[in-house]
Amino acid sequence: MAVTLKIIDLACSYGATRVLDGLTFSFARGSFTGIIGPNGSGKSTLLRSLSRVLKPAGGAVLLDDRDLYALHAREVAKKMAVVPQETAVNFSFTVEEIIMMGRSPHLGRFQGESEKDFALVNRVMELTNTRHLARRPITAISGGERQRVIVAKALAQEPEIILLDEPTSHLDINHQVEILNLLKRLNREEHATVVVVFHDLNLAGQYCDSLLLMQKGRIYMTGKPEKVLTADHIKEVYGTSVIIRKHPVTGRPAVMLLARGLQDAAAEGKRVHVVCGGGAGASLLEQLANYGYDVTAGVLNTGDIDWETARSLELKTVEEAPFSSITEQSHKENLELIKNADVCVMASIPFGRGNIKNLEAVILALDWGKPVLLMEEQKIEERDYTGGQAVLLYNELKNKGAVVNQDATAILDTLSLLK
Amino acid sequence: MDPQGRVWRWRAINSALLLVLGVIVILCTTIGPAPISPGDVLLMLLRKAPVLGSCIPRGDWPDSFETIVLQMRLARVCLAVLVGAGLAASGVVLQGLLQNPMGDPYILGISSGAALGATAAMLFGLGASALGIYTIPVFAFLGAAVTAVLVYGLARVGNRAPMSTLLLAGIAAGSFLSALTSYAMITSGENIHQVIFWLMGGLAGRGWDYVLVLLPYSVVSFTLMCVFARHLNVMLLGEEPAQHLGIDVERLKQIMLGAATLAAASAVAVSGVIGFVGLIIPHAVRLLVGPDHRVLLPASILTGAIFLVAADALARVAAAPEEIPVGVITALCGGPFFIYLLRKKGSAGF
Repeated sequence: MAVTLKIIDLACSYGATRVLDGLTFSFARGSFTGIIGPNGSGKSTLLRSLSRVLKPAGGAVLLDDRDLYALHAREVAKKMAVVPQETAVNFSFTVEEIIMMGRSPHLGRFQGESEKDFALVNRVMELTNTRHLARRPITAISGGERQRVIVAKALAQEPEIILLDEPTSHLDINHQVEILNLLKRLNREEHATVVVVFHDLNLAGQYCDSLLLMQKGRIYMTGKPEKVLTADHIKEVYGTSVIIRKHPVTGRPAVMLLARGLQDAAAEGKRVHVVCGGGAGASLLEQLANYGYDVTAGVLNTGDIDWETARSLELKTVEEAPFSSITEQSHKENLELIKNADVCVMASIPFGRGNIKNLEAVILALDWGKPVLLMEEQKIEERDYTGGQAVLLYNELKNKGAVVNQDATAILDTLSLLK
Repeated sequence: MDPQGRVWRWRAINSALLLVLGVIVILCTTIGPAPISPGDVLLMLLRKAPVLGSCIPRGDWPDSFETIVLQMRLARVCLAVLVGAGLAASGVVLQGLLQNPMGDPYILGISSGAALGATAAMLFGLGASALGIYTIPVFAFLGAAVTAVLVYGLARVGNRAPMSTLLLAGIAAGSFLSALTSYAMITSGENIHQVIFWLMGGLAGRGWDYVLVLLPYSVVSFTLMCVFARHLNVMLLGEEPAQHLGIDVERLKQIMLGAATLAAASAVAVSGVIGFVGLIIPHAVRLLVGPDHRVLLPASILTGAIFLVAADALARVAAAPEEIPVGVITALCGGPFFIYLLRKKGSAGF
């Protein structure tokens, strides 16, 4: 029978300092729950309290509706395993001996390990890819290997609940994925309940079914990653601006940092209109916004990457229906934004019949005396799908004084030089 | 390793050590002014065995030899066996509990407490009439036991006694008590020689009565340690991880500290402060058999016994007819060996 873990009005203190207060939550059977929150928000304290080592100052932790702290440590250890952030072992036990310690709660005081225990340890070593390390001393393997061994030890307990405190924070990206995939597999195949404290919001978003966001010792919010991981919530709890995107493959929320510290004084109050679309301008839009420019964009087809970027940056844009040509109406709106801008930048977009009007708009910008910067990541000949018309208009732009820049960085440099 | 193979390996190791201990006990019993051969010693011992003993013919040795061997030399050798075993066992347990290979039976102030107790008994002749020859052992044991309980009490925070705090409390109490002992010594004058000799540790002139007094303590403490050997392994992962594996850490610590204190305090009480056995033997044996306490404990008990029997023999013959305190021998062997281990292992862990 699967085991349930609940906290009811939980409060924990270190000495006189209240660290957790009024936490109520139920870790559903077979769920994969991530605990996230800034440093000092009480994530690890919550995990310690769940793992029967920090007696609550108030409220209760219930394992199968029984008070966790009234149960014997051994009873708990048969159902629940814990993987700490880091484990230092000073004595040269072999990897196999360490993993075998996971059988400890299942053995009687005078009972030695049986064939069955050795068979189980073997199976766990296969699962965690530690078989080849079996005879090596725990003191002579790498940090990543050691963490896999500690996870293996936890699995040898045959737990129905596994608690992990930032189990991958000291590991390379490949080992992180390896361990988390393993946990995911156990969660799916053996229906183990997994509770992980995460530092990395992306990993949390990728792997968890539900998230518990902590703030100052309280639960700020709980729910599915899509609901919890929003730019607003993160701004509120972490005090940091981020962009949330859908992961292109998994569809899970992915968190991207904005390097707000990079703001440029020269950008203050300067309005830049970016002519882009299809994704050619996304990076440029983000960087310009980051540096503090007042950015507008057009003409963007609804739903494409540039459009999503502009929307998440809350930029003023001219929109067009997906895969549609630029209409007379949106062309006018585009020109309106150009008129209001100090500088006009054109991203390295491909041209077809549908968006050739963009080139005409930029030529007008030059005619109005606006500085025009062209980002040229690819030669115009290679992105002309109009049969030569785009090349002609582009060359006209250059002749009239548009400045060619190779990439977004060059554009930013040039912009900072403009008065 | 398959479970059967491992058990056989452990049995083989302990059988071999037991055999070595037997041989060394007999060899060291032959050492002394009266020339008695190992064969004769063996025969004398076998004749004492129940049932079988009566079938064994008596050799042509004088009666006095039998008294020398059975009443004097063998008692002393057996006492060395128990003291060496007790110190080594206590060292293993404390190194395990502290998760620190620097652990030592004396680290919790046991030796300083025993020294103060013994010094008080010797200098002020406390209770001499009532306790007779046991005055010094009783006072030493009380000093050691009271110190250990005190240190545990000092280290306690709430209902937990973190090992790091315990270590520091032990060091502080040790220094304090040593200072008291030194003060008592310089103010006493004439008995100071006796005190110094006791402090260096020795087994000279101890008979079967000492062995019989020590034996129950050894049996109780060794049994407790061996029963919880597997749990002690898990403690090496750290206190919280051990708790996660279902171990009642505070209770285990109390039981094991109690057993280690009992073993060390009783050994110190009969022999004085013999250093380095409790530090070196667990290290050396760990190198040989690995860190698993289920084999490390019995193997260390046997090796500690072997080492102290040999060291005591050396103490008797090295400057004959004078005797060197055996504590001097153990420190002379132990110091360089420890440095050798440090150089060899570096910081790679133990």
